[in-house]
Amino acid sequence: MNRSFYQKHSLVLVVYALILVLMAIGAFNSERFLTIRNLTNVLRQAAYLGTVALGEMLVILTAGIDLSIGSLVKLCVLVSAILMDGNPDNVWMAVVLTLGLGLIVGLVHAFLINELNLSPFVVTFASLFILQGIALTITTKPIGRASRDFLLLYSQKLGGVPIIVYYFIFLILLIMFLLRKTVFGKHIYAIGGNYTVAQLSGISVKRIRYGVYALCSVLAASTGLLWLMRMGVGDPVIGKGLELNAIIAVVIGGTSLFGGRGTVIGVLGGILLLTFTDNLLVVLGVNQFISGLIKGIIFVAAVALYKQNDRYKGGFTGL
Amino acid sequence: MSESEPSFILEMRNITKSFSGVHALRDVSFQCRPGTVHALVGENGAGKSTLIKILSGALLADSGDILFKGEHHQSFSAREALNSGISVIYQELALVSQMTVAENIFLGREPRRAFGIVDTKRLRTDAEKLLKQLGLEIDLDTEVGELTVAYQQMVEIAKALSKNADLIVMDEPSAILAGHELEQLFQIIESLVMKGVTIIYISHRLEEVFRIANEVTVLKDGSLVETRPLKELNRAELVKMMVGRAFEEVFPEPTNQPGDPLLRAEGISTDTILQQVSLTLQEGEILGVAGMVGSGRSELARALFGADPLASGSITIKGKPVVFRNPAEAIRKKISLVPEDRKQQGLFTELPIRNNITLPILKKITRWGFLSRANENEIVDQARKQHSIAMTSGSQEVQYLSGGNQQKVVLAKWLQTRPEIIIMDEPTRGVDVGAKFEIYQLMRQLNKEGIAILMISSELTEILGLSDRILVMREGRIEGEFKPSETTEEQVIELATTRAVAAS
Repeated sequence: MNRSFYQKHSLVLVVYALILVLMAIGAFNSERFLTIRNLTNVLRQAAYLGTVALGEMLVILTAGIDLSIGSLVKLCVLVSAILMDGNPDNVWMAVVLTLGLGLIVGLVHAFLINELNLSPFVVTFASLFILQGIALTITTKPIGRASRDFLLLYSQKLGGVPIIVYYFIFLILLIMFLLRKTVFGKHIYAIGGNYTVAQLSGISVKRIRYGVYALCSVLAASTGLLWLMRMGVGDPVIGKGLELNAIIAVVIGGTSLFGGRGTVIGVLGGILLLTFTDNLLVVLGVNQFISGLIKGIIFVAAVALYKQNDRYKGGFTGL
Repeated sequence: MSESEPSFILEMRNITKSFSGVHALRDVSFQCRPGTVHALVGENGAGKSTLIKILSGALLADSGDILFKGEHHQSFSAREALNSGISVIYQELALVSQMTVAENIFLGREPRRAFGIVDTKRLRTDAEKLLKQLGLEIDLDTEVGELTVAYQQMVEIAKALSKNADLIVMDEPSAILAGHELEQLFQIIESLVMKGVTIIYISHRLEEVFRIANEVTVLKDGSLVETRPLKELNRAELVKMMVGRAFEEVFPEPTNQPGDPLLRAEGISTDTILQQVSLTLQEGEILGVAGMVGSGRSELARALFGADPLASGSITIKGKPVVFRNPAEAIRKKISLVPEDRKQQGLFTELPIRNNITLPILKKITRWGFLSRANENEIVDQARKQHSIAMTSGSQEVQYLSGGNQQKVVLAKWLQTRPEIIIMDEPTRGVDVGAKFEIYQLMRQLNKEGIAILMISSELTEILGLSDRILVMREGRIEGEFKPSETTEEQVIELATTRAVAAS
């Protein structure tokens, strides 16, 4: 290693240190905060942001962006609730079709970006409105119903830990494995790092994009299912602004918006930091609306810090 | 034995290529002997790049054919070229700077196990073997972006070798190297040739061609001039072949004596690399600054131009102390910077010549707040005559000019501000021999008008031939001052590289 682990990941360590600070503040102000119950609760909450943020991370690593995931989550909550309609026999069908819907949306995104040469920003920005439009055309009031078994999954625990947390951990390990061990993962970094070089090296840029956008949308669809578990009905309020939270988590975690650089551990830090912030505000009984203000400040501070770090690390070339 | 072997590894026959009716290559034939270094030279626009692009499969020839290793190819696709053992190392290095050395070498061709998992162990051992072959000691896990440009280029060569390339084309590799880095490149080229690899070496720098190549092919205006063994040639003859006319004296003699001190820097340091640099720049002189890439040359330019704040030290102009907080303040004090990378930092390539030239003086050519096209055209016309810029009209976009003419536009642009001091960072990079001479003449002309020039250059012949005085930089400091008449290239290199530590 040319640079030590600490140097290379110093800012990610700052993110984790901040999480510890938040935990300390929480523990100091409420005896309920540092209980297993609250902490596993926070982890379960983190899964809701985490599943979309991990997908968003993959897209951002290729120097793309997906602005549609909030709308997709919203649509998937509605679709899965309608399909399930309270009937336990419909659970698998609803799950598969919802994930399938995610897959198709992701593939369409990649198709438009690959074949029509549109920018990811334009495609997914349009998609944000289109998916939202479809969802709100279906209904503006809660609709459909989860089956009882499906609803119970939300509170179900294994060894004291909610099973949703296991799902989250599984996803973290999966994405980590993907990025660090597989050719697919290496090529994701390559495309984001230098598109032309990746292309000239014989990497099928299009295929990687199909994979990445599909994964991102399928993960968002799965988040929709998690919301159905939690709410029991298809609530059209769900998903609003989720894409922005996801992007903030990814960037706080040290992933470059220009692609090519970022780690799962870092993004996990970003996810946890945002989730703890929200949780702490609840525990402290502070007005929820201030959360946006705090996240915005953390976001700018993080980008500014990463930028400074880059500047001194890489030295300066030219004007 | 040698009878049965083909005498050429590569033959390109009667290649013709035109772009929208304009011939880029006209009936060019080109042969390359195996295990040799073959130099390809010519002015910008001579057709070197087009020829190489056809060879690498990036372009398709209109007519003509290619014989490689005895096999006939009507046309080469990029993949076909690669598979049959041709690798091109472009000037813009094809590396992903955020990825490690090992990952870059095998990018797109990673050894894999089942389920698309990268065989990291083999990736590393293979990469290590290649680097050892090249005699390089680079950490496999270093991100390429952290390496010096020289080492990045070595990684590129390792990458080419990993594809089992029999023929490696190097497109102006030396443009980004200096001093001992170049020496290392030459050593690697020699060891590659010993192993039977053939090298096509494209360069503007003729010393290099004479230093390493066995044969040279000269192109001019899309046609073949000649292919000759270098043993039979001397420098003047080669220059004559390239430009079609003889250059008696490449560097114009100064016609004036340096005058009073204009700018004085005392012990200036910056947060970047500059340490305690002192220098004096006199009226009407060219002060050459030599040094390796990363020696602090460009940082010196930035500091004098107000782009980097001074950590310590002071600058005086005509005896008055000045502090520049930004380049705008430096420009107001009649300093101009002609940057190293004209496309990124010196020009708006997609804008017309007219807009580029008048940009610094827009305020002066307005009438009641509106731009006067007549004034603008007059200025552009003057610039064209003064600097003999080859252009169709003022509304031609800068991107369609040759490198030399682009550089003249940059110069014309800054001359509009009537500067007294011009800092030129690599004034003739990517400029062909003919245009170089014109730029040198222009610089001397400026001297005559009293303008002082600080010239940063990697080309030692330029430093020695053109400067009135030479400063040598190393590791952010000035290591010595020479008079060009009393020094040699070797002395300058020696001073610029001693104690220099290789990266990582």
